[in-house]
Amino acid sequence: MSVETILFILVLLAGFYTAWNIGANDVANAMGTSVGSGALTLRQAVMLAAIFEFTGALFFGSHVSDTIQSGLINSSVFTGNPLILVYGMLAALTGTGIWLQIASYFGWPVSTTHSIVGGIIGFGAIVGGVDAVYWDNISFVFASWIVSPILGGLVAYFIFSILRKQIFYTSEPVQNAKKYTPVLVFIFMIIMVVMIMFHGLDHVSIQFTFFQTLAIGTGVACLSSLLSYLWVRGIEVPKSSKDAQNLYNPEVIVALEKAKKHLILAQNSSNGSHRYQLTLLNDEIDHLSSAYKQHEDPELTSREYAIVERIFGRLQIITACCMAFAHGANDVANAIGPLSAAISVLQTGFISSSATIPVWQLALGGVGVVAGLATWGWRVIETIGRKITELTPTRGFAAEFGAATTVVLASRLGLPISTTHTLVGAVVGVGLARGIEALDLRTTRDIVISWIVTIPIGAAITIAIFYILLAIFG
Amino acid sequence: MLSAILNLFGRSPFAPLQSHMSQVTKCVELLKTLFIALEKKDYEAVQTISDAMSELEHEADLMKNDIRNHLPKSLFLPVDRGNLLEVLGLQDKIAGLAEDTAVLCTLKQIVMLESFKNDFHEFLDKNVETFKSATLIIKEMHELLESSFGGAEALKVRGMVDEVSYKKHESDIIQRKLLKNLFKAENEMSYSTFHLWQKIFESLGDISNFSEKLASRVRLMLDVK
Repeated sequence: MSVETILFILVLLAGFYTAWNIGANDVANAMGTSVGSGALTLRQAVMLAAIFEFTGALFFGSHVSDTIQSGLINSSVFTGNPLILVYGMLAALTGTGIWLQIASYFGWPVSTTHSIVGGIIGFGAIVGGVDAVYWDNISFVFASWIVSPILGGLVAYFIFSILRKQIFYTSEPVQNAKKYTPVLVFIFMIIMVVMIMFHGLDHVSIQFTFFQTLAIGTGVACLSSLLSYLWVRGIEVPKSSKDAQNLYNPEVIVALEKAKKHLILAQNSSNGSHRYQLTLLNDEIDHLSSAYKQHEDPELTSREYAIVERIFGRLQIITACCMAFAHGANDVANAIGPLSAAISVLQTGFISSSATIPVWQLALGGVGVVAGLATWGWRVIETIGRKITELTPTRGFAAEFGAATTVVLASRLGLPISTTHTLVGAVVGVGLARGIEALDLRTTRDIVISWIVTIPIGAAITIAIFYILLAIFG
Repeated sequence: MLSAILNLFGRSPFAPLQSHMSQVTKCVELLKTLFIALEKKDYEAVQTISDAMSELEHEADLMKNDIRNHLPKSLFLPVDRGNLLEVLGLQDKIAGLAEDTAVLCTLKQIVMLESFKNDFHEFLDKNVETFKSATLIIKEMHELLESSFGGAEALKVRGMVDEVSYKKHESDIIQRKLLKNLFKAENEMSYSTFHLWQKIFESLGDISNFSEKLASRVRLMLDVK
């Protein structure tokens, strides 16, 4: 067996293992909250995750994979001895795997993306020299790591504020939830479809112009909006129970409203002490009518809110699937980017600076992710689902809306970001909009620490393994 | 990165707050039985009930401390932390007042005179009623959380707060009537008994006072004008 064949097998194994790791640990972030809120059963979540992660990896994963493969370091510095690149990429993959094992043992929140990027930069800088690294691209990537949780948080804050004001604050939450469902679905789907299809899907030979994309997006959004409208139409608005209604005569409330209107007229056209007395009278009428309204069924509000949550449970399925799609697209690159660079060297013997990633490699990544999900990831989804009951469907929907749109945008721009950090940012956004009972902000501190720590450690481990590989094979 | 998402959610103090209120309610509810026993001059029963109330108040104290221990500064809540802690403190104070009232009744074998018996029961009932209205507000906490302390639900709770204020006002009026009756009967009892009854009326009246304070504090948590 030649050295090339051994390396080929090692690279495939390392890439598959990294993809497996992503499926085992990261996918739970996309689907876990839907299982926790009861919107999906574990089985449904795993199946949907498998489908959408694979599709996302295959049809949308090449942009980020390209960045990792050839956008971070200038591989042409290794033209003299191309196998160095192979050792480097293999070291990055293995190093990330080891670092993730260590971190999960200690419970540190470490991101696959950050480790791989750190590893590649470390290898590029130390072995290829400082000029081998595309520092301007790297600074874009670093910036995206900071911006993505913030953007996810902003969108989630905005969406939950809308839910709060237009549904929860009103006196008819179920009716307003029914009204807003098609609107929210429309907005979400059009954003998703346009961003995903913008320059055409990968490996699909049809290309669309911007206007065709917009038209398709509008079409898909209208269709899903219509489907959601038909679905919520059948949901019954709860009424006060019969006993409560019999006690108090609703005609009294109507009569009081009329009296109040006349009093306001009188108040506005009088002055001085008369006006003051009329104001006092108005206040008393307000007090009386609210006292009457209170004696409606006291359980009504909690029943209404339960139904609103049920509606958003279904909506959460849509956002969860899009999260899985976006996650597949963004994270499969962590495994396949380095793998692709290494394999192109092993197959051709040359460094090629801009090869497109072949379908089989993206499919391999997708299969690895699904394998990880099926063997271990489902357990993690179940754990998250069991422990996170605080994220009710309305909150989960807002958070996933923010996270999914941000991750899809980043994948479109070819920026490798951490989906977990983005989701954390989105949940914090919902918390800031007063949506969550108790939010532990120490997690944000842990995330900032992980930004600072993961790159040097990822780089150090990669460099160490690189020199080991060089010693064995070189 | 399982731990990042899991660690994001802290222990919510709202359900423990409601449990604490249930504990306080158990204590306050025993007051009626205590005073019925006192009327029948069953002083042994008065002592037993008073001991039971002390136990309940002590347990409420422990629950309160537990809640306070689990509210680190890093926990972000949808309401002002100070308001929440103040509501908790007021709830606990009410349990203490009920216990104090019971203990006062055991210090001496006092007799409930015919002249103020009816007014006294009216007073006791009105105070417990005010407290019960305040407990209804705490029961609404779950709906308030769901609607982020604003909107129609918050307006409904604001109305409930007004109701507690009104009941407290009614209790004050009965208290004045009761005190006048006590003064009329001053020659039928020793000074120490007179003083003891005064203190009992005071701590009982404080139950509605503090219930109103509690309701006002919850009012401050609401996002309404």
